[in-house]
Amino acid sequence: MAFRRQIIRATLQNAQRNSFAQLARAGGRCLSTASPSLSAATADAPPQLPPFDHRPKPYKGPSAEEVLQKRKTYLGPSLFYYYQKPLNIVEGKMQYLFDENGKRYLDAFAGIVTVSAGHCHPEILKDIVEQSELLQHATTIYLHHAIADFAEGLAEKMPGNLKVVYFVNSGSEANELAMMMARLYTGNLEMISLRNGYHGGSSNTIGLTALNTWKYPIPQGEIHHVMNPDPYRGIFGSDAAGYAKDVEDHIAYGTSGRVAGFIAETIQGVGGAVELAPGYLKTVYDTVRKAGGVCIADEVQTGFGRTGSHYWGFETQGVIPDIVTMAKGIGNGLPLGAVVTTPEIASVMSQKIQFNTFGGNPVCSAGGLAVLRVLDKEKRQQHCAQVGTHLIGRLRDLKEKYEIIGDVRGRGLMVGVELVTDRKEKTPAKAETAVLFEQLRELGILVGKGGLHGNVFRIKPPMCFSKDDADFLVDALDYSMSKL
Amino acid sequence: MQRFVARSGLLEGGRRRAQSLLRSQQQQKQTRYFAQAAREKEIANDVLPKMPPFNYTPAPYTGPSVDEILAKRRQFLSPSMFYLYKKPVNIVEGRMQYLFDEGGRRYLDGFGGIATVNCGHCHPDVVDAIVSQVKRIQHPTILYLNHAVADFAEALASKMPGNLKVAFFTNSGTEANELAMMMARLYTGCQDMISVRNSYHGNAAGTMGATGQRSWKFSVVQSGIHHVLNPDPYRGPFGSDGEKYAKDVQDIVDFATTGHVAGFISEAIQGVGGIVEAAPGYLPAVYKNVRKAGGLCIADEVQSGFARTGNMWGFEAHGVVPDIVTMAKGIGNGMPLGAVVTTPEIAEVLTRRSYFNTFGGNPVSTAAGLAVLKVIDKDNLRENASTVGAYMKDRLTALKEKYEIIGDVRGRGLMIGVELVSDRQKKTPANAETLHVLDQMKEMGVLIGKGGFYGNVFRITPPLCFTKEDADFLVDVMDYNMSKL
Repeated sequence: MAFRRQIIRATLQNAQRNSFAQLARAGGRCLSTASPSLSAATADAPPQLPPFDHRPKPYKGPSAEEVLQKRKTYLGPSLFYYYQKPLNIVEGKMQYLFDENGKRYLDAFAGIVTVSAGHCHPEILKDIVEQSELLQHATTIYLHHAIADFAEGLAEKMPGNLKVVYFVNSGSEANELAMMMARLYTGNLEMISLRNGYHGGSSNTIGLTALNTWKYPIPQGEIHHVMNPDPYRGIFGSDAAGYAKDVEDHIAYGTSGRVAGFIAETIQGVGGAVELAPGYLKTVYDTVRKAGGVCIADEVQTGFGRTGSHYWGFETQGVIPDIVTMAKGIGNGLPLGAVVTTPEIASVMSQKIQFNTFGGNPVCSAGGLAVLRVLDKEKRQQHCAQVGTHLIGRLRDLKEKYEIIGDVRGRGLMVGVELVTDRKEKTPAKAETAVLFEQLRELGILVGKGGLHGNVFRIKPPMCFSKDDADFLVDALDYSMSKL
Repeated sequence: MQRFVARSGLLEGGRRRAQSLLRSQQQQKQTRYFAQAAREKEIANDVLPKMPPFNYTPAPYTGPSVDEILAKRRQFLSPSMFYLYKKPVNIVEGRMQYLFDEGGRRYLDGFGGIATVNCGHCHPDVVDAIVSQVKRIQHPTILYLNHAVADFAEALASKMPGNLKVAFFTNSGTEANELAMMMARLYTGCQDMISVRNSYHGNAAGTMGATGQRSWKFSVVQSGIHHVLNPDPYRGPFGSDGEKYAKDVQDIVDFATTGHVAGFISEAIQGVGGIVEAAPGYLPAVYKNVRKAGGLCIADEVQSGFARTGNMWGFEAHGVVPDIVTMAKGIGNGMPLGAVVTTPEIAEVLTRRSYFNTFGGNPVSTAAGLAVLKVIDKDNLRENASTVGAYMKDRLTALKEKYEIIGDVRGRGLMIGVELVSDRQKKTPANAETLHVLDQMKEMGVLIGKGGFYGNVFRITPPLCFTKEDADFLVDVMDYNMSKL
């Protein structure tokens, strides 16, 4: 990891040196664009953040340097961070973050697709604070209404017979539990997951995860990683049939013919906002079920209306899974995760004791229920559809303008922009991505980065992200790209 | 944890068996009935043990009733989700060492949300830290800087001996132990881990393997673990001779592995296993053997950590310094938080790839963690746990003199176990009586826990602000209910 950072730093410095030379050349090209708003942005003045009526509290804590020093000493060398000069984020409000100097940033990454309703959303805060002052933790050995109400709230959002809820504390824990359920229920061992997928960092979920950066060399059991139905880089383009056949082949040639289950994200997050080729899940779910397996939908990033068109990512593929896992956005930042499944599958878990000390605690349950309520009340799913469509539309326009944008993809407010140095070869433009990443930060926008080669911008803001925010983001990207 | 009486078809038989056992045992006591009845009348005429006073009125409860909650639990939550007591308690509010039910009735919390609420329910300092942080920024992730996680890591390191000063934050004990086990395997390049029978370390794949009790182990692949003899002073074959048990570890290394192992993991005092403290001399001998075999020593402080035993860490009483320490439960007074603390050399292994925990180290949890460390010092919790714990253990030991059914009283600080047996020689677990007394104590306002492989051990792990008066009340109530057995 440190080694990779060195390489990127070196290429970054090179790229920055070249960019100034290119500036003069680029200047003339940028002015001849179609839309007037684009040309306004690429004039000398960089675009401005939309106005926001909130004053951050004056910050009196340790400086960025002090914090960085402590991190290096007490948090270990493997704890990485974004940006050459890391950002000291001390306050948040809705879709904005503030650094130690009170500078405002547009948060286009939402704490990694986690802050769904908005930073410090007042309604959610109210419930969290109230519950924290009443009772934080007693465990489920006693009764408490919050966990029961929240489970009911979640079950109501689920199709089919998905209505038994297990609460855990993270996506990794949720996927671990889901895997175990699949194996117990079917009596089979083999699990199937997609290349480029991310499902967690614990011993079993590392096996499901299929990106070498995140896989430590430990035994990972019976996992088969099948071809990724990647419309942009996959060998069959958007034609799901070819990819689905790979699953059949793995089962027929690589297993006993019977499997435990299949797990996938509908839009791969860590993997770079890759949306599965249309129709893929329908065919694969069929294949897996014929082989005795169960189908697990990892909704850790795509859930709760983020995709705009549907509440759950799997709905975009027209399927109903057997098990659904969720985390991240479920609590707007609370350490919370959940597994929802059918009563039949849940019944195998009653053979032994399955217990999670913190899972379903009153504070997280109250917070989770508030999130469900707020997202409905504020019609966030609809909003994601509207703003997302606008954002993707503008990004696609940008793609017409800049060769370096290889692909714009996603749905709702789960968007990816992949940068390549050669549109035919699709050579990852790692260095340029790194440069633009820093540039965007300078302009006040925090996006995420993903994909195996780190050349995809992940744009997954809090769902209160507005049209103006979207315009600002695209204008800033335009402005920065014009300077490359 | 405890052997439970679940509302599940599979275990209904067990409950009925327990009930009929209780009935027959009661019949055996017929001869003592009249003498006892007289005594009981005396007690009934006496003043029953009284809960210490507490100047606090809970808020009126207007939420769903017990029946509504039970119905929803049955419909929407795991079928294996159990609860304590024949008539479950609906806990709606907490303050320091007391809990309140829907009717505003106060209970003495002798279980601490399973050894989790160390500072006390809704301790004002901890709540303050949580509320002020949650209003500022809840979750940016460690991709950006924030002082909360750094300050907490520094404070945690200052409580550690040796070169244990690098922290990784997770969201639970399971996640912490999973990470610790992975680090040990990566660091040594070996796969074999050694854990102790009767232990509990978590419910994910790796940690389920390390866990040494069948009730918690599902029938899934759990490779690379060797379970060694439990250095159990009460039930173990070598009594309190720690070194004799340690030989089993050497045997496993010599005969069941390549001679090199990844590591050894244990709790200083087994929690779920029934408050079993490792026999003296065990850990130093085992740590020596494991290190000779190239392995790392992991101390699972999820229940014994954060002042509960009277020391900051459970392993301190055994004179060892581990290579990796895992913690959760008490670390955040109830916040979903876990941690792994280790040396810089061992921490380095994770740089080989990327390990990232989205929620881990978030400002709210770490602010709570830091507040907990401050409260432990400010409220003198180490000393209180030590003093009140010793006092309570003495009183319980005296109770043991009085009642044949108490087979063993053990533990350290405010981590105490009382094991009930129907035969002191054979140590036959008195499962039914344990359930019964547990239930009766709750009726009188005392909540404690249950544990042990046979489910016959009372686990007393209250918030560490527990007082001498609380201890008296708890023991008096236990005394009273045992007298009625």
